[in-house]
Amino acid sequence: MASRKEQKEQARAARLAREQESAAKAQRTRRFQMFGGVTAIAVIVIVVAIVVSSGGGGGPKGAHNGILKTGTKAERRLVSSVNTTLDKIPQSGTTLGDPNAPVTMQYYGDLECPVCQAFTLLVLPGFIKQQVVTGHVKIDYRSMCTATCHGAFSPKQSQKFFNLQQMAAYAAGKQDKFWNYAELFYHQQEAEDTGYANNTFLTGIAKQIPGLSIQSWQAARNDPALKAQLTADGNYANKASLSGTPTLIMSGKRGIEEVAGTYAGVYAFPSPSELNAAVKQVS
Amino acid sequence: MSATQDSAHQSAARVSARRDRLIIAILVFTTIGFLDAAYLTYVHYKGFSALACFGAHSGHSSCVTVQSSPWAKIDGVPVALLGLIGYVGLFVSYFVTARLNGEIGRAMGFCIALIGFGFSAYLTYRELFSIHAICEWCVGSAVCMTFLVVLTAIRFLRGEPVTT
Repeated sequence: MASRKEQKEQARAARLAREQESAAKAQRTRRFQMFGGVTAIAVIVIVVAIVVSSGGGGGPKGAHNGILKTGTKAERRLVSSVNTTLDKIPQSGTTLGDPNAPVTMQYYGDLECPVCQAFTLLVLPGFIKQQVVTGHVKIDYRSMCTATCHGAFSPKQSQKFFNLQQMAAYAAGKQDKFWNYAELFYHQQEAEDTGYANNTFLTGIAKQIPGLSIQSWQAARNDPALKAQLTADGNYANKASLSGTPTLIMSGKRGIEEVAGTYAGVYAFPSPSELNAAVKQVS
Repeated sequence: MSATQDSAHQSAARVSARRDRLIIAILVFTTIGFLDAAYLTYVHYKGFSALACFGAHSGHSSCVTVQSSPWAKIDGVPVALLGLIGYVGLFVSYFVTARLNGEIGRAMGFCIALIGFGFSAYLTYRELFSIHAICEWCVGSAVCMTFLVVLTAIRFLRGEPVTT
């Protein structure tokens, strides 16, 4: 039989165990409540971050994800802005600027390429104002399949999409509106490799160009001369092993310079100062 | 020492070893993620002639495509920088746990890892279905965050043994 002292010790131990169990239970409950609270806070932060991120999505400043609704304020503003940029600059086929400009910048692009979109929207307007409007440089657009050809579609299907969209722009060039078409396309570019640039989209872009005859444009979309130009562009890009789009080649009386760049912090496309330096170098 | 006490000591030692392993694993993944995010942040601000990347996309490396995409920034702030801040926050949470308040430090660590995991999952979705390009560095950080959310959740829910 246990002594009185032992009984007291056992009772004390039992009490301590009960207290410990009760404290552990309370702590577990508190911890689970905290876990729920922390999870709720984290979910709120994630949702806010996603909303802010999506709000800024769709491309650089000035870009719209998809073709704007006809007659809307946003569409009118975009068309007016593109016209204002190109209004007083001569266009001929895929060339923008004075045909006698001493320097030519070949711009190898793909209308679905997001890096080309960023270049066209962020860098090109300033360059056009500084070098093209003043008659120093003319820009000659060439086609190279990159974004359109590196997607989920088969190579044959991708090439078909590419030809369709680039030919649509070249066809506008038959009425000296290539650059209006390309600018409007880049501004309303959608996510690449989704096959969005179908006839409806391409005709929608054409209809936004003031003064473009849709009938003539439709007819020019199958022009064999334009098809030959498209093929020649692709062949040259392959032969010269161009690394990607946009590839910018500056040529003048002092030589030819392919302009690499570091704009946007990564090797993507040249900054305005890098382009201007290249113009100076070949002039 | 009685057999009961001996067994209790052995059990405590096992629990302690498990905790140590958990903390080591958390620190390892935090360090890897930190270095990954630091590299991407450096590239974003300083620029490299070529960002080391295995994938190719649109004639550029797929990392360049992802880094140039609209989802690479939140309201003008590079996502890589936010990731870096997140990993620094995880280190701070470890310090808070060790030196100030264990419960709050562990909760802080789990909260940061959960936010990092959730946003990494969203960005991976964008890479796959919107950008159609994969940046290995971003995937690396997402993997680190996935491990970290699991590890910090275990650590938080386990807590510390109750002492009376």
